[in-house]
Amino acid sequence: MISTGTRSKIEAEMERYPQKRGALLPALYLVQAEHGYVSSDTVRELAEIMGLHPVEVMEVVTFYNLFFDRPQPRHHASVCTNLPCSLRGARVLLAQLEEHVGSKVGEPTDDGRLVLGHEECLGACAFAPMMRVDDAYHEDLDLEHAKSILDALE
Amino acid sequence: MPTLTVDGRVIETAEGKSILEALDDAGLLMNGVDVPHYCWHPKLSVDGSCRLCQVEVEGFPKLQIACNTVVQDGMVVNTTSDRVRKAREGVVELLLINHPLDCPICDQAGECKLQDYAFDYGVEKSRTREPRRAAKKRVDLGPTIVFDQERCILCRRCVRFCDEVPKTRELAVFGRGDRSVIETFPGMELDNPYSMNVADICPVGALTTKDFRFKIRVWFLEDVEGLCTGCANGCNIYLGIANNKVYRYQPRRNDDVNETWMCDAGRLSYRDIGAPDRLQYAYVRDATGSLEAAGYEAAIGAAARRLRAIIGSKGAGVIAGVASAHATNEDLFTFRRFIEALGTETSGVAVPKGDADDLLIKAEKAANAAGARALGLGDASLVADRIRSGGIDALVCLGSDFLGTGLLANVEELAGLDTVIVLDTHKSEFSRVAHVILPTRHAAEKHGTLTNAAGRVQRLRAAVEPAYEAHPDGAVLSHLGKALGLPGFDGSYDVRAVSKALAESEPAFSGIHLDSVGDRGRVLIDPDASQRDREPEGPNL
Amino acid sequence: MLKVPHVTSYLTEHFAEDAFGTLAGYEKKGGYAAARKALTEMAPGDVIELVKASGLQGRGGAGFNTGLKWSFMPADSDVPKYLVCNADESEPGSFKDRILLERSPHQLLEGILIAAYAVGACTTFIYIRGEYSFPADQVERAVAEAYDQGHLGPNVLGSGFRHDVVVHRGAGAYICGEETGLLESLEGKKGQPRKKPPFPAQVGAFGMPTTVNNVETFCHVPYIVNRGAEWFRGFGTEASPGTTLFGVSGHVVKPGLFELPLGTPLSEIVFEHAGGIAGGRKVKGVIPGGMSMPILPAGQLDVPMANESLRERGTMLGTGGIMVMDETTCMVRVGCVISYFFRDESCGQCTQCREGTGWLNKIMNRIERGAGQSEDLGVLLDIAAKMEGQTICAFADAAAWPVQGLLRHFRADFEEHVRLGRCPFTASFEL
Repeated sequence: MISTGTRSKIEAEMERYPQKRGALLPALYLVQAEHGYVSSDTVRELAEIMGLHPVEVMEVVTFYNLFFDRPQPRHHASVCTNLPCSLRGARVLLAQLEEHVGSKVGEPTDDGRLVLGHEECLGACAFAPMMRVDDAYHEDLDLEHAKSILDALE
Repeated sequence: MPTLTVDGRVIETAEGKSILEALDDAGLLMNGVDVPHYCWHPKLSVDGSCRLCQVEVEGFPKLQIACNTVVQDGMVVNTTSDRVRKAREGVVELLLINHPLDCPICDQAGECKLQDYAFDYGVEKSRTREPRRAAKKRVDLGPTIVFDQERCILCRRCVRFCDEVPKTRELAVFGRGDRSVIETFPGMELDNPYSMNVADICPVGALTTKDFRFKIRVWFLEDVEGLCTGCANGCNIYLGIANNKVYRYQPRRNDDVNETWMCDAGRLSYRDIGAPDRLQYAYVRDATGSLEAAGYEAAIGAAARRLRAIIGSKGAGVIAGVASAHATNEDLFTFRRFIEALGTETSGVAVPKGDADDLLIKAEKAANAAGARALGLGDASLVADRIRSGGIDALVCLGSDFLGTGLLANVEELAGLDTVIVLDTHKSEFSRVAHVILPTRHAAEKHGTLTNAAGRVQRLRAAVEPAYEAHPDGAVLSHLGKALGLPGFDGSYDVRAVSKALAESEPAFSGIHLDSVGDRGRVLIDPDASQRDREPEGPNL
Repeated sequence: MLKVPHVTSYLTEHFAEDAFGTLAGYEKKGGYAAARKALTEMAPGDVIELVKASGLQGRGGAGFNTGLKWSFMPADSDVPKYLVCNADESEPGSFKDRILLERSPHQLLEGILIAAYAVGACTTFIYIRGEYSFPADQVERAVAEAYDQGHLGPNVLGSGFRHDVVVHRGAGAYICGEETGLLESLEGKKGQPRKKPPFPAQVGAFGMPTTVNNVETFCHVPYIVNRGAEWFRGFGTEASPGTTLFGVSGHVVKPGLFELPLGTPLSEIVFEHAGGIAGGRKVKGVIPGGMSMPILPAGQLDVPMANESLRERGTMLGTGGIMVMDETTCMVRVGCVISYFFRDESCGQCTQCREGTGWLNKIMNRIERGAGQSEDLGVLLDIAAKMEGQTICAFADAAAWPVQGLLRHFRADFEEHVRLGRCPFTASFEL
């Protein structure tokens, strides 16, 4: 269920756009912040609020990298593996981090704490290697620093 | 009117038309000028993504997609150059790298646009060494359609169809890039009254109807032009025939009637033709009161004897006639002559009713209700009233709609009649009260014309022959008329001659007959006069 | 860590000062004077003419003349007109817009105000890629400040001009950097580029006339208004005036951002400003303008970094993201990384792009695995040719060009893989 608080935030977002559908991305961020992912039930509910058909919402959810249609671990830690970062050892770092957390890329840790991922370019090319942990960038990483960042995650 | 030149051929077109529309309007598309296309469909919005319809347009450095390039006066288009051919080869090759190439087991084989264009534009041997993309093979999209994601080329015709025609929006493309797949929303189904059209417009074998799947290879089918008789819209169809059997109906394009669509109920009504409850014999009620199968001639004789007896004792005025709105104009014209020759004044037509929408589905669930009205046949409620008031002793009834339209409380209301004669295609409740039942032909089994709700007279063709003796209603009435010795009835029924006689006798049909209506039909003359009551029902929801 | 360019000029002069990111700090350095001047002393048409005369080229990758683009907007319009700031920076090798958003959001807003006034837009949507959380926060903070101080809203800077800014966050899709993909995404749809025509200046955001410009493009505008077209033309080349922000990454000693005039030789940027190749190794190749642009071999680094000169070498300036690869680099691995990216990011609409990006990637991977065959090189080029110039947007070209570039200059690397049945570059970066 989308809470009344989130619902009123979504309605406020709808006011900011010439057509209320413009608020779909912000609205998906809001429901994802509340539920951790966007379930099909949430999609139905959101579609109802925004006057859309559920498939119109679902196809948007599935198009973008930052929306999830299934439950997620508590944290996402993604190492950029695009060319500038790979040139500076990002893939080696990622493999070492896989070993460190004991889970492969895309496979959440058993305790549901974390999933490692790889990202395409995040705009930190000169500060490689880097990783994005949830919303925050961590740049100019070495293995020890990266491990300590992951270890500090609750 | 802008003019464009395509491969040296000069074409006039209306303002704002795309190159493909201009070719389509001129009847040249894939019929003189080959511009292959997947995503473009004449009745759907332009998608522009398959990129197959690229052509050279003078003044443009790059190839242009013909579906989204609006014709400018003087535009010069080349569809046959090497560059165009190479572009088409590119699209086809790229579509094939992930296509399963399971043509031998694919229902679409034989009418597959990928197969066709691969033949026309494909490289002889696939150059891909990579594993093909694996996807779901038998996705049950709903009650009517099965989907093979591996075969899908993502032209999105089906998605746009659901968005734009029934406006039910069941389908969407989920995911991105080469992970894109067409799906329904989790837990929802592709389920709308027009759902099966997606199988027709799917250019490949990705969407198939459960009804037609694995029944027969399409190259065994002969497509015969005909009409759907499920309602008063008169959708133009092809009947897919093999071995004197109808395997499917598919919509046939007529922009004045059904564009390129038909409803699922109408499409599946082909099943009526070979249904197990077809009347395969005539029946006569014997002296013990039991209804027994009889030879056709014997049944005509029995019917005539009963009617003659009534005329002899009470006069023809106690005979009532009920026509069927399923019958052709020619049948109904013969019915009217029959009633007039008998000399009774009690007749009408029974029109079954049901739900309607604002797309194709009409409330009148019979193909020729408008034709009956145009021929002056009134509502059969008159007949029901007179039966109830005891003024009627005999009934000659075409079809069984008289029972199902609410005019009678039930069939027992007819139990008191001295004589009930029924002409019908299928068994019905009439078997409880009828004295004579005469088998007739289904619309797919006879020639003639039907008048749709908009007053358009359209051609009906005999696509299959019944395996038993059955005649069109008009022929049965003609036989009965001869047996009764009615003036003007010699027992013959030449539908072409009847159609022409009708056209000469009825001002609304002036010049409009079986041989003159052409592929797209002709609208009745002065429809205001003859069609005042046409389509009396609004959407009946 | 403070993201300050190693070489600065007018755009980034004050980037070392945190206060430059605040409204007060920005105004202290002369900020918003250009907006005041444009909105109160100039007619909208004069602003467009001035920017045209400056020769400012869009800094988002295509390099189209900015003033000319603005002039496509209908002058008289019964419907609202919109401006869109493309801050969906996602081109691998590019990070300049991120730094501009983080360090100088008011510089961006001032450029936006001037552009909005010029084209008559009532609202600007700033579309920031979803991963740029911190930059987006900086912009939202600056927008709030600007509203607070009357620099946005019903009466901008007391000029009577009304303007609103909406900050919109993307959600992770490279294709939303394509301007019509961006517009679709802004409207709450999948970011699938639109067929053109119609062009955004006729039918853009929410069906209204719209101009889309890149972050850096806007940022140059206040300086042009303040200092004039001639001053601006004092930087760069005749055809490509002004400075730009070159982002240098890869195997250099000093990766980072460098504000330099257009036309600066690539070798100067790599060897002088970025300190040359790390570890004393030799350079092997350089991608000059973001990953979509064809690579240049070591022998061609004398090229001036401007479109007119890069085109002669079969490549383009793109977003100015310079990726430097040293002599250990396996160019087939580079091809694997690049083709994976384009496969991942293709929106999936057009046949050639949806299918071609995947096929390119599969062949690259197979060659790198050692299972390549000599025909594969021809097939790669043929696929690229089938993708190029045939789709709704330029993404397929962007996917095809790097492949063509790699095979043009480093065909030997590919042939060696095929011949040996393995990758010979044991010291190369790991895949």
